[in-house]
Amino acid sequence: MTDPRCCRRKWGKLAVHAALVLACIVNIYPLLRIISISLRPGNRLISTDLALIPAEATFMSYVNVVKDTNFLIWLWNSLIITAGTSLIGVILASTAGYAFSRFKFPGNKLGLTLLLGTQMIPAGMLLLPLFLMVMKMGLINTYLGMVIAYSVSSLPFSIWILKGYYDTVPRSLEEAAMVDGTTRIGAFYRVVLPLSTPALAIAFLFNFTAAWNEYLVARVILSNSTKYTWPLGLFELQGQFITQWGMFAAGSVLITIPVLLVFLYSSKWLVSGLTLGSVKG
Amino acid sequence: MNSQVALSLLEVLQMIGFVAFVTLWIEAYLYTHFHYSKKSWFFPAMLAAVPLGVLLLVVVAIGPALNARQAVNIFLYALLAESALAVFFRFKADKKLALPYMLIMPGFVGLALLIAYPLVFEVYLAFHDLKLTTLKTWSETGYLPFVNFEHFYNVFTKSPLSEVSFWQLLGRTLWWTVVNVFFHVLGGLGLALLLNNEIKLRGIYRTLLIIPWAMPQVVAVLAMKGEFHSEYGFVNIMIGRLVDAFPFLASMGMHKVQWLSQHPFLTCTIVNVWLGIPFMMVVILGGLQSIPKSYYEAASIDGASRWQKFRHITLPLLRPVLAPAVTLGTVWTFNNINVIYLVTGQSGGTEDADILVSALYKAAFSFNRFSYSAAFAIVIFLLLFAISMLWLKFSKGTESAYD
Amino acid sequence: MGKKIILQFCLALVAFSLAACLRPPGGKIDSNTLVVWEQEDGFIAPFLDSIFNNFKKLPGNEKVRIQRVHYHMEDLRQQFQTASIAGSPPDMIITPPDVAGVFAVSGFILPLNGLFDFSRYDEQALVPVTMDGKIWGVPSSMGNHLMLLYNKRLVKNIPQSTDELFKSCAELSRDKNLSYCMAYDMNEPFWLIPWLTAYGGWPLDGKKPALNTPAMLAAVKFYLNLRYERKLVPMECDYNCMDSLFKEEKVAFIINGDWSLADYKSRFGENLGVGRIPKLSETGRWPSPMFGGKDIMLSSKLRGEKLELAKRLTVFFTNDENQLRQARELYRIPAIKGMKNSPELRKDPLLRGSIEQQEVATPMPMATELRAFWDSGRHYLGMITQRKTTPEDGLKRMQADCEAKIQEMMR
Repeated sequence: MTDPRCCRRKWGKLAVHAALVLACIVNIYPLLRIISISLRPGNRLISTDLALIPAEATFMSYVNVVKDTNFLIWLWNSLIITAGTSLIGVILASTAGYAFSRFKFPGNKLGLTLLLGTQMIPAGMLLLPLFLMVMKMGLINTYLGMVIAYSVSSLPFSIWILKGYYDTVPRSLEEAAMVDGTTRIGAFYRVVLPLSTPALAIAFLFNFTAAWNEYLVARVILSNSTKYTWPLGLFELQGQFITQWGMFAAGSVLITIPVLLVFLYSSKWLVSGLTLGSVKG
Repeated sequence: MNSQVALSLLEVLQMIGFVAFVTLWIEAYLYTHFHYSKKSWFFPAMLAAVPLGVLLLVVVAIGPALNARQAVNIFLYALLAESALAVFFRFKADKKLALPYMLIMPGFVGLALLIAYPLVFEVYLAFHDLKLTTLKTWSETGYLPFVNFEHFYNVFTKSPLSEVSFWQLLGRTLWWTVVNVFFHVLGGLGLALLLNNEIKLRGIYRTLLIIPWAMPQVVAVLAMKGEFHSEYGFVNIMIGRLVDAFPFLASMGMHKVQWLSQHPFLTCTIVNVWLGIPFMMVVILGGLQSIPKSYYEAASIDGASRWQKFRHITLPLLRPVLAPAVTLGTVWTFNNINVIYLVTGQSGGTEDADILVSALYKAAFSFNRFSYSAAFAIVIFLLLFAISMLWLKFSKGTESAYD
Repeated sequence: MGKKIILQFCLALVAFSLAACLRPPGGKIDSNTLVVWEQEDGFIAPFLDSIFNNFKKLPGNEKVRIQRVHYHMEDLRQQFQTASIAGSPPDMIITPPDVAGVFAVSGFILPLNGLFDFSRYDEQALVPVTMDGKIWGVPSSMGNHLMLLYNKRLVKNIPQSTDELFKSCAELSRDKNLSYCMAYDMNEPFWLIPWLTAYGGWPLDGKKPALNTPAMLAAVKFYLNLRYERKLVPMECDYNCMDSLFKEEKVAFIINGDWSLADYKSRFGENLGVGRIPKLSETGRWPSPMFGGKDIMLSSKLRGEKLELAKRLTVFFTNDENQLRQARELYRIPAIKGMKNSPELRKDPLLRGSIEQQEVATPMPMATELRAFWDSGRHYLGMITQRKTTPEDGLKRMQADCEAKIQEMMR
């Protein structure tokens, strides 16, 4: 079943396709429903009609959400913050993960445990002191504050996954490179890093989605509407009782697209191991 | 609009400069202290350079808002700290340790900064009594009554909401975590195995399957919640049509269910499983892709069956990638507020779906019981920490698969 | 290796210093800038901005800047507290009055006695912001009350009593084949208040909750009757469901608040009818929903010149001209004494219906205890209406829980 070669029998292949199609339908259906909400006139969240394309479907919500709100500015801010987070997060995590994987130093196990520990702090509990601290440091309403907060929160997972991945790369490879005269860091950069593209991709994707979709911390740090990320912006459309569901849904569909594009692009990094076979064997 | 873009780009430049500056500061500090600690000029040079360096860092960070008295204070404190550290490095530092510490320090400094102060603050709150009636005196005078362990005692004995007890919440949280992680891994493994075959359209399938992860969680959960509506949700409408078409199903007990009011916990679980499978799938897929084909080929030559290949090649080699994902997935599921809050949040009578964190969130922000919620949060944290330590010991997760 | 690091270090230093020198002048808060937080729905923002712009155009206000920040209701409550604790709250907030209690006790807002001429404002509008003789906010509208809204295409005349309502519903299910007659948010205790008052009850007795009373029992049984026996109301229906059903014309009646008027007007146009919630035939009383509205509150950190500026803005915001504009554009009842009786306002059918309902409505008391009622009420009301417990038992537990919560809060 895990043999990467094509399934021999035709209906075996068909079965795989069928299973995947079913899974896709289950996964996509809610998104399709959201698209119907965005096409539906009149801000109706629930409908008695199961049709995916509602009667009187219109693209007005899409037009409105781009025209009447600062949608593009939100996207721009989100893009900057998310890109910054992903880059910084992956860079810091790849080097730190390497250190944890390859070196025995006092604090190795402790550090990993602490990293895990940070993930256990219940969300929302640190918001009040976080606000006080960020204010004192003058990071309110800045990209820097957001990027630091986000990259630090996704570090633990990134470090763990990269460390786990580096553990599967045998040390003999770096040792071979170092015998040839490169330094430790050079060996890391030239040998280990290229082999670990799937883990780097996972860390990058994780950082990206975490930063892109985050609301609570952004709510605390950003109060100037020109700096809003898209979650803050879209949730402005939610009133105490009345929500402009049409625009909200349209906005949600629009911001899912960049994430999907990032996934599509990074999926080629997720597929590695083509060189691994020859090296490890 | 253009000036705004220009301003934001400027700020990006500033941000990059600042991060690079701080990182290099840390690296330079560690490098000099590890490599030159045995030199004769170490002490004087460091005692002079480091406090100045700290001062420079603070000036760059806070800007010209610093006054002379504060600057002198910072310089003196840095001098004090550096003398202690320099001695430490002189006698204890090992050159070999330089590289690993240099690699991990930037990240850990950030973590310490961002997590340490808030944690200390929360611990302080938990032992004092900050609530609606003491808020005024606290913001004016900084005084808070000290209450020993009273809040912790309350966490265990009183209900955070109306009637559900701490122990019920704990049990439900454990059950929630186990069920969710089990199905996440199962589903992720199944899908990853399917995708690992070289079939056409693989890229398209992969992209479509990660949609629940890519969508903003709030939107996805609200959409799924709508599908479980007892009258107008897809699930019940389908059930209705099936029962109409095949009446025998009704006699077997199949009927429209009031998902959200009568079975909130089940509904939340289904939604969360749907939400979490793509993440596991991606991680496992990455792990599968790194297993060399030659292993399978060798096993085929030896006559191994599919199941044997799976059990002896795939699973062990997946472990280093699976272990962190499962560990962290467990922690996240335990602390997952979003799904439960969004699915049950506004409707009453659904305390039977709450887990520890969602009850905590609802309780904390409704009544300004800051100290109580700080204590509650600490209890949850310690609980989770203890459970994870047991799990790690049990699964030896910090070792690599090749050891 | 060392040399490379030093080189990079110096480069970064230069880059950052350059960037730091060009630091953009961040929005400086001086004594001519007012920061106002609000939680209005998105489509109200232009109206607020236009008032602020008109204020800036007044002679003497050239240097004034007003920064309007929008927050979701719950966020505003939490953020205002957080910001006040941190020492940098906004100068003014425009919110419904139910948060006033919490903010007053925590000392975050100013008591306003003597700062404004309160004789100008309707006495009922002042009730939700008056506690122990002190006034904590300036009302800018009266409203947030529930009323009966109906689809004129389905129903010609508004029923005057519940008996007429039931008759109308029976006709509808027969003639128009509607499976449900009324959409109703049974989850929120706020929607229970009209019926509770129709049975002669009230959730508070002074400052104590009074939930285990015959009136509550009767009101809750009325709910169960509507849902399970008469089947006039769908089984699970929260706010969004009720809203969508009404908009899709699957139900004829809906009980909703004045905030929804503009939204429904744009959907139904002339076919939207507004009026009082029908008289309860059993007791002959008009249901009296709670009303509040919107109030302007000032931060307790305001002093001197800034305080004067904030006062001027508040007075401008609630002057006659702007109040009339608000009524015409947003369908909100003005908070100025006597203004709601003006014939101009009564000409609009929607406003007229809203005002008629408000005439029998009861102002929301400014009691922090009410918060406890909303939360415990929501939980137990849900239990009762989903038949997870009997009404008698549910109310007993609701009372106990509410008392416990108040004790926690105020100890």
